[in-house]
This record gives sequence, structure tokens and C-alpha cells, in this order.
Amino acid sequence: MTQLVQALVLGLLIGGVYALMASGLTLIFGVMNIINVAHGALLILVAFITWKTWSVTGIDPILLSIVMTPVMFGLGWALYKGVLSRISGTSPGMSVLLTFGIAITIEGVLNVTAGNRFRSATPSYFSQSYRVFGISLPKAQVYGCLAAVLVLGLLYLVLSRTWTGRAIRATAQNASGAALVGIQSAGVAALAFAIGTATTGVGGSVLSVLYPFFPASHYDWISRLLGIIVLGGMGSLAGALVGALILGLAETLTATYGSLQWSTLIFYAVIMIVLLFRPQGLFGSRLRQDVMA
Amino acid sequence: MLTISGVYAGYGGGDVLQGLDLEVPSGAITCIVGPNGAGKSTVLRVVSGLLKPRLGTVELDGVRLDQFGTAGVLGKGVAQVPQSQALFPQMTIRENVLLGGYTLRRDKQLLTKRYDRVAELIPIVAERSNDKAGNLSGGQRRMVEIARCLMVEPSVLLLDEPSLGLDPISLTGVSQLVKDANAGGTTVLLVEQNVRLGLSMATHGVVLEGGRVALEAAAGDLMANPEVAELYLGGAPSKAPAAAGSTAAAAGSAPAARSGDASTKR
Repeated sequence: MTQLVQALVLGLLIGGVYALMASGLTLIFGVMNIINVAHGALLILVAFITWKTWSVTGIDPILLSIVMTPVMFGLGWALYKGVLSRISGTSPGMSVLLTFGIAITIEGVLNVTAGNRFRSATPSYFSQSYRVFGISLPKAQVYGCLAAVLVLGLLYLVLSRTWTGRAIRATAQNASGAALVGIQSAGVAALAFAIGTATTGVGGSVLSVLYPFFPASHYDWISRLLGIIVLGGMGSLAGALVGALILGLAETLTATYGSLQWSTLIFYAVIMIVLLFRPQGLFGSRLRQDVMA
Repeated sequence: MLTISGVYAGYGGGDVLQGLDLEVPSGAITCIVGPNGAGKSTVLRVVSGLLKPRLGTVELDGVRLDQFGTAGVLGKGVAQVPQSQALFPQMTIRENVLLGGYTLRRDKQLLTKRYDRVAELIPIVAERSNDKAGNLSGGQRRMVEIARCLMVEPSVLLLDEPSLGLDPISLTGVSQLVKDANAGGTTVLLVEQNVRLGLSMATHGVVLEGGRVALEAAAGDLMANPEVAELYLGGAPSKAPAAAGSTAAAAGSAPAARSGDASTKR
């Protein structure tokens, strides 16, 4: 029984971190129909910068996200204004090509500057755990999950309670309708891309502690994250959260009761099974207007 | 007065509007009719700022609108209900209508006041305030789209095919709403495929062909015009519709209507 609870708690902690990493990706797709394949590479970029700063200065890697988040917000803004705005209004396929190019560029730069080796930030609490009712909670996982809850909570508040958030959601649902009520879609798109990229500031910092990485790790991460947002329903923040938790649990339970090798397979098997029954994903709702055509 | 002068505009494959000149009298309901591809919806898109004209100007009471985007045009009091779905389907009716006041968002009190007024005017806004807009029927959606526009108390309301896909009861409701808005002082410019319905709602009519004005007159005169009857009303000229209350007086100020007869511009 304790083993099951332990696996469930670990699954939720991992799922929380996955949700953090997927939140920006789903936000960007929801608002701009951009499938940002570079999201994984941006996470790895942040992980490298965090690892390097930690190894030189000793500053806590997860705390570094306080600095990395605004830095990535700025980078996201610049990337949108300088590059992605040029394909505004084209098909999502075009965004895959363009952002794949960005991902390859980031990977190349990291290969040259940081070397093609596995890295991992290992702060003092790296191998420590909290014991709660006989359950072991790795401190790094707990801190990572707390950061995820904080970011997702903030994102939720911004999107649901502020005019900026309403403008972002309105643009995501109906861009020309949003323009007609006076929302400047270009500004909103840049803002949404910047916010989505800013989440990699926290996600990458957490990643640097929880998972060993090297420049090409972004392929693995982007496939997982795309899987999560497809499972949850493309563009849905709540879907990304639930999808991430389900996959985190599936992975941990498989690793606990099956084997580590099967845990990766189960991740994608769950996605396939869910999509067989809900092609729109878990939170991709079907409204009256969707079935009227 | 909304004045469109020498406007050329299109979508990349050539100009749809070919030097359009049109004056929309203040306080009137002006209906643009014409065959498919004549550029009816394009006129509205140009006025609302969704489409920049390649040449020509759009002015409202002497203020150039064509230099603004949609937000700027809305700020000058021109709001549009487009032909296709304009609502935010995953948001509630309340959120949709409140977003109509996006440009007023810094004035919370005014926003609340306007919302309450719109909800009183259009009951569905209050009745289904927490329902998602994507779950409304076509007629209900049209009502909410108009409600959303009324949040800015527009001086000019642009309506693209308000009858599209509506049943007769919904149509009556939407039609009455347009007349009420007009009676409140809003100038209405609407585009309608259903010529009989459009002209019966309007005080002033315009026939658009090939991106230019072919005919313009008081709506009743246009319906009585044999050429219009032949092309758009199935043969026999219609009787002039009963003028809609206060809108009849507004029609009298229309330049083309003053002549009494339809003026051909071809």
C-alpha cells in the first residue's frame, strides 16, 4: 500500500513539472496556432544557463528561475517580433518548420559552446527527501512541483481575471472577432508568445535539477510535451495540467510495478488510447457550433 | 455622415471595390444590396478597419477612418457585426458582452453601467449570462453580437447579413433590435442578401455592382424600381414598406432620397 501511495505521490510531483513545461506550449498554440517545436530547445537552453550559473556561483538553480523567467520573456518577445510574426496567419505546418529551425540553431549553439555531454545541477538537497507519513518526497521534486503550482496558478489568474488574459483568450478563440472589439491582435500574440516562452524560464531551471540533459535532449522533451497537450486538448491550459498529471502517474506506476523501460512506452500508449475515444483530447470541448456545420 | 470616396480595396487577387463613392446619411438605416461578389461585405470591412483600402478615403463627420486599424475605428464610434461567427465560443455570454467594452476597460463604472443597460435591452444577455457563447443558436448569437457592439454605444453600426441563417422569429427580433438602435440615434449600415428584408428594414438603399454604386435611393423607392424588382425581388415591384417610426424622418435627410427617385450611377 505504501508503495502505491509513494508511486502516486511521485507521479503527481512529476506530472506537475510536466504541466509547467507544457503550459507555455499550449498557450502559444491556443493563441496563435503556432506549434512551437523550439519549446523543448528553449527549456534545454535555460537548463544549460542555469547549470552553468549554479556551477560557477553556487546560486540555487530553482531560485535562478526568478532571473531566467524575465530573461526568457524578453527572448520570447524578440523571437516573435523578429521571426515568428513573419508567418502570422499562415498554416501551423509553417510554424513547425520555422520553430524546428530555431530548435536546431539553439542545439547547434549549445553543442559548440557547452559541449555534447550530459549535465545536471546537483544542489545540496539533490539527494535529500522529506518523510511524510512514511512516504518519501524527494526535495528537488517537491520544489519543482511547488514552482509549477505557482506558475500555473499565476497563469490561470492572469488569463481569467485580467483584461490582458481576456484579450489573449479572445484572440485564441476568434482573432477577427477580437480585432472587432478593439483588441490589437499583433500585440496580444507577441505577449502570449513571450508569456509562453517565459514559462521555460522556470521549467528549464527545474529541469536542470531533476533530469540530466544534453543539447539534443530537446527532441525527447518536445515529443513528450506535444503528447501532453494533444492528450489534454490543444490550446487548453486545464487540459495540459490534467494530461500532464495522467502521464506522470502512468509513467511512475509503470516504473514501479513494471519496468523503467516500459514507462516511456506507456506514456505514448495512454495518449493513443485516449485519442481513440476523444480525438479532440480530454479538454477539447465540443460546443453546439462545432457540430452545426 | 459616413463618406466613402474613391475607394479601391481587395484581397490580393485584384480590387473588389473599384473606386467606390458612397455617402451614408447620419441617423439613417442604409442597406447595401447586390449580387454575390459585388463587394458588399468588403465595404463594411473597409469601414471597420479590417481591410485597408489601396486607394481612397473613408471619413466619419470629416474625420479620416482609413488611417486607423479596427481599434482606432471603434474608438471613433464605428462597430461591426460581421457575417460569420464573431463571438468567443468558449467564453460566457457575459464575458463576450463585456469584451465589447474592451476599449472602455479602464472605466469600471462605465463598463458596468453599459453592461446593465445592454442586458436590460437584450434579455438573452441576462438570461443566459453564464452559458458559453458556442452553445447559442444562430439567432441568439446574432443578438449577443449586436449586444456586444452596443457596449460602445456606437454612432455607426455595421451589420453584415443580419438575416443569415435565422428563422422568422429570430429575424423579427434582430430586425427590431436594429430599428431600436437606430431610433436611439445610431446610424446603421447593413449588407443583406435578402433584398426584400434588407430594404424593408432600411430607410435608404444602395445597389452595389462590380464594386461600385449602381443605384441609390430611399429604400421604398428602390423597392418600387422595376430594374431592382426584376433583378432582386423576383419580378413585380414591391410596395414601399411602412417607414419604421423615427427612422422615416432620418431617411428624409438622405441625399439620394431627396430626389424621390432612384438615381442610376452606371
